Amino acid sequence: MKRNKTGLALLYMILTAWALTTIYPLFWVLENSFKAKDKILQQSFALPVGELFTLANYKRAFERLDIVHAYINSIFISTCVTIGVMILAGLASFALVRFDFRLKKFCHTMVIAAMMFPVFSTIIPVYTMETSWHITNTSSWGLNMLSVILPQVAGNISFAIIVLMGYVQSLPLELEEAAHLEGCSIPQIFVRIIVPLGKPSFVTVAIFSFLWSYNDLFTQMFFLRRPEMQAITRLLNELTSKEGTNYGLMASAVTLVIIPVIVVYIFLQKYIIKGMTAGAVKG
Amino acid sequence: MTDGADAPPVIILKGVTMSNIYKSRKYVILFLAPAFLFLIVYLYYPFFVNIYGSFRQIKNLGSYGTRWNDPLLENYIKLFTDPVVFTSLKNTFFMIIATIFGQVGIALVLSLLVDNIERGTQFFRTVYFFPIVISATALGLLFNLIFLYDKGMLNQFLELFGKADLTDWKGEKLAIFTMVLPVVWQYVGFYFVILETGLNNISQELYESAAIDGATRLQRVFYISIPLLRNVICTCMTLGVTGALKVFDLPWTMFPKGMPLKETFLTGTYMYYQTMEAKNVDYGSTLAILIVVLGVIISKVTRSVFRESEDI
Amino acid sequence: MKMKKLTAVLLTAMMTISMAGCGSASQGTSQESTADSAPKQEQPAETASATETAEQASGPVELTVTTTFAGEDSNAQNYKNAVADWEAATGNTVSDTSATSDETFKTRIITDFETGSEPDVLFFFNGADANDFVNAGKVVSIDEIRSEFPDYASNMNDDLIAASPADGVKYAVPVNGYWEAMFVNTEVLDAAGVAMPGADYTWDQFLEDCQKIKDAGYAPIAAALGNIPHYWWEFAIFNQQTPDNHLDIPTSADDATGSQWVAGLEDIKDLYERGYFPDNTLSATDDETFAMFTDGKAAFLLDGSWKVGGIVGSCQSDPDDPATLDADKLSHFDVTYFPGKGNRRTTDMIGGLSMGYYITTKAWEDPDKKAAAVSFVSHMTSDEVVPLFAQHTASALKNAPVVDESRFNALQVKAMSMMSGVTSLTGAVQDLFNGDCRVSTFDGMPDIVVGNVSAADAVQEGIDVYEDTLE
Repeated sequence: MKRNKTGLALLYMILTAWALTTIYPLFWVLENSFKAKDKILQQSFALPVGELFTLANYKRAFERLDIVHAYINSIFISTCVTIGVMILAGLASFALVRFDFRLKKFCHTMVIAAMMFPVFSTIIPVYTMETSWHITNTSSWGLNMLSVILPQVAGNISFAIIVLMGYVQSLPLELEEAAHLEGCSIPQIFVRIIVPLGKPSFVTVAIFSFLWSYNDLFTQMFFLRRPEMQAITRLLNELTSKEGTNYGLMASAVTLVIIPVIVVYIFLQKYIIKGMTAGAVKG
Repeated sequence: MTDGADAPPVIILKGVTMSNIYKSRKYVILFLAPAFLFLIVYLYYPFFVNIYGSFRQIKNLGSYGTRWNDPLLENYIKLFTDPVVFTSLKNTFFMIIATIFGQVGIALVLSLLVDNIERGTQFFRTVYFFPIVISATALGLLFNLIFLYDKGMLNQFLELFGKADLTDWKGEKLAIFTMVLPVVWQYVGFYFVILETGLNNISQELYESAAIDGATRLQRVFYISIPLLRNVICTCMTLGVTGALKVFDLPWTMFPKGMPLKETFLTGTYMYYQTMEAKNVDYGSTLAILIVVLGVIISKVTRSVFRESEDI
Repeated sequence: MKMKKLTAVLLTAMMTISMAGCGSASQGTSQESTADSAPKQEQPAETASATETAEQASGPVELTVTTTFAGEDSNAQNYKNAVADWEAATGNTVSDTSATSDETFKTRIITDFETGSEPDVLFFFNGADANDFVNAGKVVSIDEIRSEFPDYASNMNDDLIAASPADGVKYAVPVNGYWEAMFVNTEVLDAAGVAMPGADYTWDQFLEDCQKIKDAGYAPIAAALGNIPHYWWEFAIFNQQTPDNHLDIPTSADDATGSQWVAGLEDIKDLYERGYFPDNTLSATDDETFAMFTDGKAAFLLDGSWKVGGIVGSCQSDPDDPATLDADKLSHFDVTYFPGKGNRRTTDMIGGLSMGYYITTKAWEDPDKKAAAVSFVSHMTSDEVVPLFAQHTASALKNAPVVDESRFNALQVKAMSMMSGVTSLTGAVQDLFNGDCRVSTFDGMPDIVVGNVSAADAVQEGIDVYEDTLE
């Protein structure tokens, strides 16, 4: 195929322009996290070299914020949410696709409709409910974590079921029938066939559940109140209300929250992108 | 996670003949019960409690009040007369429109462009996608710094071009724009990746034979790519519309209390405001019902408008 | 009448502090009072040992404590230190859930009580914000505590402990008071050729000065009306009234008080229309306009005594380290009275002791925690600890100790000299007209100033909510 040189150059220019809008803001916040507050407001485009460079923001961020604890809490919460979602959604999607039962259509509608419940529409009753179980605002770390994990699992489960249903549907039934003839029980079929074959889909669900849970401010805002129990997003939000105009500190805190996510993303992007589209687009 | 992505891809339960190995009622219950327990306890039960709450007089979160509203339908009357509800609905619809044309539109253009290049595809895919993995809170702070009046990135940038006075990006005139822009920006990559995958699935032979017939590059895009992408575009639209209804974190971080002049409220942020800031919990519950009802209606409408065609 | 008496006592208490403060700096007159206060230093120690013995029986306890001494609050560090001291002295531990005070914080506290997850000890507002849990009997009155621990809060002047507006009973042991006044960036005043306002500053002079400052290219008033209009609301209304009737709550927007409120809000509207607030006053956050003030872009800032710490912090290259203070920069900041109008004298101020330590019924009924809670509050309100918190504000101590002025920075000293000229100190009416009553005139302030909603309608809407709450 013949290619028009100028046309191609234009293509790359447009594509690069959009790429700049996604890269530059992050780079900008990174470079400004090494500058003092007043310099950010005057010379935000200058590279932080020489006079401009300072590590004070990071020093202060580590002093003022219990970042290490927040990371541990965040990772713990998100890991539990991920595992919970994978198990529950895996079982449910298997049953919803393969089994024949009276309320099947109804159950399916329930899952789809559940996607229409944004977290904020259920938070008032959920808060009341969890408080009556005494799992919020206690001094017990485990219970506090649980109070966030449970609603997050609930919030992610319907998306996961739908993605996994798409996958289970695409599996050839013959395989399972053959296994059945060899004497596999239904739980064995699930563990030995469905799960191993569906690895990419499970990985997708896992990654998304993890990311959403890690990034979810809303639930954390309601349930994590004590300083030692805060998760990373919550900490970031707290920071804005405490130090609204300390832009340097804010830039460094944003950087600290974003960096691990970006690193994980770069390593796992193959799964994230492929798996996600597999869920959304069939074929 | 409340932004954008977690809307249902449309799955049609086809008449798959079930194997006779899957009959056992016991396993159905065993497998479904845990997940549905979560859905019921954390989503459906609260929804019905909200309906109850919307008729009560609730001042403080955590209880269901001491008495019924007087008149009983007080909150619903308020819902229809409250100008801010109207504003938030208007903004939510604007968000939906912006999603369709902004997110999906830009993503479509970008994916068609990427389809025409050979080198760097992977790079663009990686780069376009990554705003999605960052928390909306962090992005909200980032954009606060960018739009800062005195003097964030944009105002400093304009200053470089000799603009002397400061632009109030969050002021009355530009607030909606400033609110919608980051949300659109964040999710372009998401739809880009979906559309790009769709494009990759179109067989090269089709293009080649069209080229032989003398079709120009542009013609190929309009007569081959876009029609064949129809289903994927529809999926994106559905995802986008339902996602737009759930946007919360970014606008709330950037425009607390619907500043300025309560003009930037979305249904979700207004509900949170009424519950937590204005301490009108029962009205907040009423708004929560509105949100769910609105979501169900809109997703039904969207699905019938953007129905995937079966004949491909 | 009662209010008046309280004001008088409070004022005397405050004067003693500032006088003593001045004294120690200049002459030897305060020598006596130093000697006077020396024996008192031992008092808290006694109290502590008394409660300690009470605890030894029950072993170490974990108390949950919620205060507002967090974040940017000037006393956040004092609080941490005081808690650590108490922990070290008693062997008990404190599980602290303090947070910055804002509407969300208040909502959460009320919710905690509602759902039974309240802390053992709470430092909270003693105004109408506490009505819900006071009415529900979830906190213990000082009298009840004294029936078992006679020394509880015995170092406080009982007249200065505010009673709950809900039932007239005293629950909260106060620590530090507050005042609200107008901070001034004198650098901006100089640039605009405006003199530093004094004790006879009037509203008309203020308007004149604002115009000069605006003409010189600065924002006259640093305020984010869309975010924190609280102080302007309070003083604009106060300016239509006198200290005697400021705490009245109107029954309708057109009764005497109601029309004063409307007139007050219209004064704010007038300032807005004249362009005396920053251009982005409706879209900015309070932090942003505060930064304008400290950066020398705005001249006046109406705020509370807790902001002294923030201003001083902005003059330090490391906000946590007082040693990095730029004294020259700090010398450009001053504080003065809000310009007077009508019958309100310029020197009539808003202030008082609006917060205090509550012991919750939950802790009181828990035999393990009872003594610990009492010991904790006794420690936090002891003659030693309170002055650290109170600084340039009032306290309710019977024997206000001498303040060593040399420990204070320039702005604190200026604040003290301002306090010495105060003619009356009145509580904030917004503490009585609280929560959702204020929404229509607080969050609705932008709509009022741009003219979307009339001030009278907004006031009436708030009154309706208020009446509704009373039912």
